[in-house]
Amino acid sequence: MKKFLILSALCIFLVSAAFGQGTIKIGGTWPLADVTGEQGSKAAQLAVEEINKAGGVLGRKLELIVIDDELKADKGVAAIEKLVTVDKVDFLMGGMGSGVALGQVPTMKKYQKIVISTGAASYKVEEALGKDADWYFHLHPWDYEQGASYLQGWNDIRKKYPAVKIDRMFLAYEEGAFGKASYDSSKVMFGKDYNFDGASFKSAALGGGDYSAMIEAAKAFKPDIFIWAGYDADALPMLEAAKAMKFNPPLFVGAPPGWPKDFGKSPLADNVMLYGMWAPSINDVNPVSLKFYNGFVAKYKAEPATYFAPLSYSAVYVLANALQKAGKAAFKADGSVDNAVVIKALEETKYLSALGETITFSPSNIIKHQGIRNQKILQWQNGRQEVIWPFEVQTKTPVYPFPAWK
Amino acid sequence: MKRATSYILPVALVALGVLFPLFFGPYPQTVARTIFKYMALALTWDMLFRSGQVSFGIAGFFGLGTYAAALLALKAGFSYPLAILAGALISGIFAYILGFLVLRLRGTYFSITTLALAEIFRVILRNWTSFSGGPEGIVLPQIIFNGDSRCLYWIGLAVLLVVVVVSQYFEKSKLHFSLISIRDNEVSAQTSGVNIFRTLLVVFTVTSFLQGLIGAVDVVSVGYAMPDSAFDSNYTLLPLAMALLGGQHSTWGPIIGSVLLGVASEYLKLKIPYGHLLVYGVIIILVILFMPEGLIGLFRKKKGAKRG
Amino acid sequence: MAHSKKAIPWIIAGAVGVIGIFLWKPTVLVYGVQRAGLYASIALPMSLTSGILHIVNLAHGELLMVSAYITYTLALLLGLDPLLALIPTMLVMAIVGFILYELTIRKALKGPELNQLILTFGIGIALSQIITLIYTNQTRKLHLDYVSASMTIGETSFGIWDFTFVALSILMTIGIRMFLSRTKLGKAAVAVGQNPKGASIVGIDVQKTYAMVFTISVVLVGIAGSFFLTRQSLFPSVGSPFTMKSFSLIAMAGVGSISGVLYCSLALGIAEAIINGIPHMSGWSDIVFFLIIIITIAVRAKKTRKI
Repeated sequence: MKKFLILSALCIFLVSAAFGQGTIKIGGTWPLADVTGEQGSKAAQLAVEEINKAGGVLGRKLELIVIDDELKADKGVAAIEKLVTVDKVDFLMGGMGSGVALGQVPTMKKYQKIVISTGAASYKVEEALGKDADWYFHLHPWDYEQGASYLQGWNDIRKKYPAVKIDRMFLAYEEGAFGKASYDSSKVMFGKDYNFDGASFKSAALGGGDYSAMIEAAKAFKPDIFIWAGYDADALPMLEAAKAMKFNPPLFVGAPPGWPKDFGKSPLADNVMLYGMWAPSINDVNPVSLKFYNGFVAKYKAEPATYFAPLSYSAVYVLANALQKAGKAAFKADGSVDNAVVIKALEETKYLSALGETITFSPSNIIKHQGIRNQKILQWQNGRQEVIWPFEVQTKTPVYPFPAWK
Repeated sequence: MKRATSYILPVALVALGVLFPLFFGPYPQTVARTIFKYMALALTWDMLFRSGQVSFGIAGFFGLGTYAAALLALKAGFSYPLAILAGALISGIFAYILGFLVLRLRGTYFSITTLALAEIFRVILRNWTSFSGGPEGIVLPQIIFNGDSRCLYWIGLAVLLVVVVVSQYFEKSKLHFSLISIRDNEVSAQTSGVNIFRTLLVVFTVTSFLQGLIGAVDVVSVGYAMPDSAFDSNYTLLPLAMALLGGQHSTWGPIIGSVLLGVASEYLKLKIPYGHLLVYGVIIILVILFMPEGLIGLFRKKKGAKRG
Repeated sequence: MAHSKKAIPWIIAGAVGVIGIFLWKPTVLVYGVQRAGLYASIALPMSLTSGILHIVNLAHGELLMVSAYITYTLALLLGLDPLLALIPTMLVMAIVGFILYELTIRKALKGPELNQLILTFGIGIALSQIITLIYTNQTRKLHLDYVSASMTIGETSFGIWDFTFVALSILMTIGIRMFLSRTKLGKAAVAVGQNPKGASIVGIDVQKTYAMVFTISVVLVGIAGSFFLTRQSLFPSVGSPFTMKSFSLIAMAGVGSISGVLYCSLALGIAEAIINGIPHMSGWSDIVFFLIIIITIAVRAKKTRKI
């Protein structure tokens, strides 16, 4: 009996020595008071729980520690310092705003932890990272990549649907960093092939909300396609203003990071096109998306309202899969992460994500590890965002042209 | 004898501040650095407020120093120490010139004009893209001391000490009585020989110089500047709240107030990830309601009671 | 007499300016006036508190936001049009205003000056966080057909719904002025605003007057909030930019001047619309706003010194 006890104790000891170096810690920073960061962090937590329920990674459980970056650089830096030096996390994750990322980059460089970044679209962040930051895996497309993907998208759509005529393009952009970056990159991208013009407006999200001068300029330009780069707060008021001013472009496209609650229920929303990375309609064509969606709704009793949720969810899976692939070699004898091994495993990532596409990493303009490059072109139809392009995940054919105001 | 004891506490605090990084890691250092930044700003605001003038332009001169230092380092190749000094100087020079406009105003009119100036700086830097990098801001190639958190902490502390010394000097010098007399009654101040405008101009220029210095050191420690973050209205409102919560018209008040709010905001965030700002707001409300003289009022009361 | 003679060149300059703008881009006048209406209807309630209680309410924008959320919720729950939900909103805002005054402002008024500034700063943070916790910060918007009401003259079509803000601001101005000059409470409020000690000597209950004036101004914010909701998207920080904007307008008008707020809004609204009307210049419109404020304040400061 005693022998048995000793034996079993020994067994337990050995097993726990092999598997039980505690949890694999992931440190996440998101802006938790913003719906992007709130849902992004919760979606990441969902992925962690799913993975743990299925047995964890390398026999260990994942643990996600989330700290609010408050959309402020100094808070974001302190969060990284705490995660690395106090919580002693193995990996870093998260991010939304480019300003916070710019503040965090020097600290991340100092620690060289592997980072799976879910935000930061500004090319300035890429400049700050430099070409040596091989530990930085950027999932979100850079601003210039988004521009390039739209160009390709519209070219593809024109080819497939010859009725769609695009020559004159007008870009309305909010006057802050987000809109200005969209305008600058679009101007370079579309300026060659298209008749391109634009006007700025002050976003309702920042105390503005008067679109009349901008719409007047757009109307005078007579665009085939009208695109606005602003925030969700601009979506409906701008449509209302367009209707009042009888501005009726054949393609009305919005490119905000998120959409207002119940936007689809507004009669004005129908047939508005949009840029985005994910919509619940992708559930119809992608099982991962469906699993994510159902899991999120069941756990949090709310619908994912922003693509930062499936993106952050994917970030956890990308990391977990790479660790699984790297095997025990992912961690050195002292328990620390072997960056070279994990980076190599991450480079081999081929993960069919909830966003619809398979995530792989390849170099972008400066950094070595860029994940997703495409945004999608979608259209509101009967209260739902339907995917128009890329055609592999298309859920509905486009309605063209944008119908006249009733 | 009394004099010697009154030096013990400040000297001990400075020693503690300098030695802090030997006992605490990078995370407490980073939090402390942020607190020092707001503490210094709160002190500069209070220094001008001792004359009764409520400036809403802290963010303006902070941001001016930020941008001046960043642009000089990036475009004119200034070394960081030189860029910091130049940033502070430019901020001070702007304040000196603008002082002729704003320092003739009083009360609400003074406050709003300083606010408007800050907004004008922000709008110019946001729209003058070829010069300032526009709304997307500018990125410095590297941060000072290669981001060593101890050195960043010490330089933050050094700036704070400069501000504290100036604040103490103002409080002990003749200037202090001029400022108080301006606050109490300008007419009698004038008759007793105080040159109101010149006194205010000196203080306005010096405090703006210091705000520019804080901004310049901040930008070389963070490595980037954007108009909306450099001129963030929080740089105006938080220092003001800290100074008033701690106790106005003193050096100690803003110091205590910024420690309270700085530590509270970081601590609450870790304890209540979703919704910590609500508690933060409630703390501000409660302190003002139950300690109308600020935290420092508690000590003063005690002292008074002892004497009584 | 001398006063009216002095005004003649100003009136002529104004008329020439208006005709000039009209010939250049007539819609600029439309948008400028509409914008002015919005600014004024939000700033007017604040001018009441700053003129009489002498406080700067940094939670002004948050109260606007809260009232818009209340209207939104009532409109959804009861299926009411927001302009009908306005009436229960006013009631709720009256309670909110009264409680806020009794629990917090009243006490802060006794403390050192500026305590109310930080107090209302804290109240603003708390209010926006409460709303964030209840509603998250996802944007919301009611769909209302009438806000797209349109008018076409010749080639140009423009929205006319925003003229309701012009009407609202004029009504508010008339209402506040009548309240201050005709009612007993209003007269008492003016006396308290000018000299609280003197007013209490002649038997006015200063505390009660303060409480009533603050409550009334919060109710007026509530009205502005309900109208604001018709055109604007809702999110917890939607109100905060309007705090400083309103404060700036009041300073430009001169603290305590009610109709001044109206004129200043008009000047700023049209100036901003002019800048917006120039292609690729709209980013600079904020600068015009603040430059005009500085110039007005500086000119007035110079004038008063001469006197």
